[in-house]
Amino acid sequence: MRRYRQAAGEVGERRERSRWRAATTADLAAVGYGLLVVALVVISYALGAVGWLPDDPARMDMARLNAPPGPGHALGTDFLGRDMLSRLIVGIQAYFLPGLLAVATSLALGATLGVVAGYRDGRAEALVTYLSNLVDSFPRLVLILLVIAAFRADIYYVMLVVGITGAPAIASLIAGKIQFLRTKSFIEAAHVLGLSTRVIVVKHILWYNCAPLLIIQATLGMGEAILVETSLSYLGFGVQEPTPSWGNMVQAGANYFFHGKFWPSTAPALAILGTILGFHLLGDGLNNILESKSAP
Amino acid sequence: MVHPGRGAKVTTKLAAFRRVGVMVVRELALTALLLLGVSLVVFVILHLSPGDPFSVLLEGQAPGQAARASVREALGVPTTWYGRYLAWLGNMAHGNLGTSIRTGVPVAGEIVRAGPNTLYLTLGSLLVTLLLAVPLALYSAWRRSGALARALTLAVYLISAVPVFWLGYVVIYLCIHRFGLFPLLSATAEPQRHGWLYILLPIIVLGVANGTVSEVTRHLREELGRVMAEDYIRTARAKGAPVWRHAFKEGFLLPMTEMIAAKMPFVLGGAVIVEQVFNWPGLGRMAWQAAQDRDFPVIMGITIVAAAFVRLASLLRGVIYAGVNPRTATE
Repeated sequence: MRRYRQAAGEVGERRERSRWRAATTADLAAVGYGLLVVALVVISYALGAVGWLPDDPARMDMARLNAPPGPGHALGTDFLGRDMLSRLIVGIQAYFLPGLLAVATSLALGATLGVVAGYRDGRAEALVTYLSNLVDSFPRLVLILLVIAAFRADIYYVMLVVGITGAPAIASLIAGKIQFLRTKSFIEAAHVLGLSTRVIVVKHILWYNCAPLLIIQATLGMGEAILVETSLSYLGFGVQEPTPSWGNMVQAGANYFFHGKFWPSTAPALAILGTILGFHLLGDGLNNILESKSAP
Repeated sequence: MVHPGRGAKVTTKLAAFRRVGVMVVRELALTALLLLGVSLVVFVILHLSPGDPFSVLLEGQAPGQAARASVREALGVPTTWYGRYLAWLGNMAHGNLGTSIRTGVPVAGEIVRAGPNTLYLTLGSLLVTLLLAVPLALYSAWRRSGALARALTLAVYLISAVPVFWLGYVVIYLCIHRFGLFPLLSATAEPQRHGWLYILLPIIVLGVANGTVSEVTRHLREELGRVMAEDYIRTARAKGAPVWRHAFKEGFLLPMTEMIAAKMPFVLGGAVIVEQVFNWPGLGRMAWQAAQDRDFPVIMGITIVAAAFVRLASLLRGVIYAGVNPRTATE
């Protein structure tokens, strides 16, 4: 998960609307592309969930194996002549809900730890820092392989690990923001007015002032989850053939790659590339527009 | 202050030196504490995993709680979880990481054998990433809003999103089938023509496509931009002093160290995939095999070694920070 330098919670004085107006074309284009990708993924997930597909993803067209895009198969076919587009759409099932679980885990855990670290000085903060460092010590993929060996190759276990390993970055962002906000007069006023700490934290800090930050981190977290799922199913620990996932499609097409049939492996690889790029650009673009102090 | 003489200067230097020393000791203690935590996490995962060697031992005997306890006692296994943890930790402290379930070979030896391969791959890839990111960061810090800088930024984003396994295939295909550089693809084969290039390929692929290039570039550019806007750089510029030398430590050395330490786990994780693609006999392939076979001792040993390696990089960062800026030690 990426960390931003402007972590210290520098909410600009300007309103959000004027931030959007002042955004650069490049950031707007990045956000636009990212939103397009998100819309495509969500719509494709819904289409796959109700089974409304251009072709049956399991039907084999023996006359056309490893075919490039053409009539009948808009994105070509794989090594068994199965429709690539349908398989790409169904492949979203492999990461969509698990990815949401990972994102929810890191947001919940990260926000909780961040509030503790930001609101309590001393020991609690040291403990949260220690836990963050501890989690950051593990290469994520290695930790996931350990969990797979200890339990089983269940994508929800894996995504729980992804969620936990993503939490420290969010915790440090939230903690920084709270330490900054605590000195602000509106928070002091809320305390003086006798509002409970829970209301102040949940409503005035998290909801009013950390929502953009959490949305940005959720976006980036989804990109991470997709990367992990595709990597794992490439390594053979995720969804198994004949159920498609983008990672195992790349893997299945690899044998034909060296015989000059690039498409069956490249199409899912491009899907991974375009999607992860979209989530990264969306997160970074939103960050530049909504969170950065240096925005003109 | 009355004319600080030579003696005063030496004392301040000594004090700074001592502060660096304190800082290093603190970093060492923190590293030890974190490694203890790492071992505890690994142990807890193992502890929670279903299945128990004793149920295999007593299979078909429908043992009661008493029978289980007596077997444990007979084998000298501590009954409490912390007892077992301490016993396991003691073994590890003696370099005994257990034996592989699949091959029966001691894990520590296997890790020592495969470790250097992964070390080359990881450090080499980090170098490639930096060779790619540093010029880009310098250029875009210099020409922030130029058309070329924008195009380069987009290119860096694209590179960071490329799935590393697919890039591996593309590179292998190009080198073998297009350019005919290698006759055969095998790390165990006899040293061949262009053998050195074969070793370089995975390093380059992992360095380019480990997904951190965009972030490293961004961090370097932002830090350099921040430092260049500081007052002391303006002063240096006004005096005609070399700006680069003033900006180097804070604007370049520290962010580089930071990124190397922060990205180490990512590169190690990427090594698992790249070693698979290139059939590279390192820890990543071992970890993959161990996860396939549910070979706990192996994957546990690799996890601990990898975490220790990450901590080592962090320790190095702490020491460099203390050396560059002893004030951090007084915090």
